[in-house]
Amino acid sequence: MKYILLMSSTKAGVSGYHTWSQSDRDAHMQTLGAIVKELVETGEFAATQGLAEPKEAKVVRGEKNGLPVTDGIFPESKEFLLGYWIVDVATPERAYAIAGRISAAPGPRRVPTNMPIEVRQFAEHPAN
Amino acid sequence: MKYILMMNGKKSDFDGYAQWSKEDLQANVAFMRAFSRELKDSGTFVTSEGLGWPIEARLVRAGSQGEPITDGVFPESKEFLAGYWIVDVESPEQAYAIAARLSHAPGPGGEPGNMPVEVRRVLSSHSDLGL
Repeated sequence: MKYILLMSSTKAGVSGYHTWSQSDRDAHMQTLGAIVKELVETGEFAATQGLAEPKEAKVVRGEKNGLPVTDGIFPESKEFLLGYWIVDVATPERAYAIAGRISAAPGPRRVPTNMPIEVRQFAEHPAN
Repeated sequence: MKYILMMNGKKSDFDGYAQWSKEDLQANVAFMRAFSRELKDSGTFVTSEGLGWPIEARLVRAGSQGEPITDGVFPESKEFLAGYWIVDVESPEQAYAIAARLSHAPGPGGEPGNMPVEVRRVLSSHSDLGL
């Protein structure tokens, strides 16, 4: 069964990331990279993707004539997706364990970020 | 350049969707299928996924020993990802135009749903963050 692990943050959280030292960022990315490598080896890895900064985000609606109306203003509480991992695992518990490892990745001064990771199953949807 | 088009909704939006008539659901699904097919034909389609219901969603943090601590309680204002498309386009404007079409997916009674679609650039590597 496939699960998607979503890492999200408010703009304030993303601004905090900008204050990390380069070595803290490197340590964080190394841990995430090692988790992916391990998932590839166990055959549980499906995909991962990082998203660009929230300041570039736009929300789009279609006008009556079909033209796009774009808006770049979001409430401060808005959670922006920072990135995701898709894993193919035997049980939901295994997906939670992987999410826990991502949450434990080191942040500033090597303290685990403890970021919440949202775990969602894929839809058994006819559109897929 | 690659963009992700995301449809988000609160639990109340999902509850509303669950109450659509069968005809309305079928029209919506037919639109989504045709939309994906068109993106494939035009060479802009990268991937697309639909997510399960928010009621199954869990928030996971690591405990002090690294063990997963799961929580299934979210604020009512929480936006849940319903599904996404990743497209490979020439410009952000092209991504916005595709998102506008998605926003016009038919809703109840066949009227355009006018759903907001969040458009974000995806990174080819973390060096794209420019930090």
